[in-house]
Amino acid sequence: MSNEKKELKKTQEQGLPRYSPSTDIIEREDGFHIYMDMPGVQKDELYIDLNDNELTVRGVSRTKRPEKANNVHMEFGDGEYARSFTISDVVDQENIKAALDNGVLELTLPKAERAKPRKIEIQAE
Amino acid sequence: MVIDFSTFYDFPRQLDRMLDEMWKPSMISQRRQSYPPVNIHEDETNIYVYSEIPGMNIDDIDLTLSDGSLQIKGKREVAKGNFYRQERPTGLFQRVINLNVPVDVDKVKARMKDGVLDVVLPKSEEAKPKKISIEAE
Repeated sequence: MSNEKKELKKTQEQGLPRYSPSTDIIEREDGFHIYMDMPGVQKDELYIDLNDNELTVRGVSRTKRPEKANNVHMEFGDGEYARSFTISDVVDQENIKAALDNGVLELTLPKAERAKPRKIEIQAE
Repeated sequence: MVIDFSTFYDFPRQLDRMLDEMWKPSMISQRRQSYPPVNIHEDETNIYVYSEIPGMNIDDIDLTLSDGSLQIKGKREVAKGNFYRQERPTGLFQRVINLNVPVDVDKVKARMKDGVLDVVLPKSEEAKPKKISIEAE
């Protein structure tokens, strides 16, 4: 925990430009899915924190560049992606899952059992 | 009477914009203007092209080399479900990169890592700089 804090502090001190990653939030039957475009972010430089109802995602992207080569044209560079979300009570916080695939972070936020739709039996006499 | 201040009127804003542009790091000034963003590097033997295309497999990206230009084409699919927020770009994209030197087509390498496309284009033999020794009599 403290180690992680230190890491976070380190990235902030580096003064990288900070970007808000493009995000999709989708609701499906099983819960909410958050997709975030974070190209160039590796698993070990991605931090996800859940504090009460606040979910914070941070990732550091380091651009690969060949040594001794001239930069002919640049449109992106090193940067830090950061974004936080407020999570509703509907979400089952214990079972939040995260997967990083090809530069896209997918957060799966399942709905809590009590929030799922259910059928109420009507008892007729 | 109508006085057209338009050109003058805009002047302070233009000046502001110009100053803003100057403050930006010049290296990444064109960030996010066209999709996908590319970085191009060059050394004596290769041209390196990097592009941020998250969420795509290398097989789904169409790389074409023709007439001294590299084309990056593909399609980002839309996820299914009930959208609360949609910011990620979807749909077809295409980017053409002009290469001003001949490239050895058979040795071009491309790979995808963490959503960043990495293409290495080796320059063909005749484009590499050669030293010519001068014989003095």
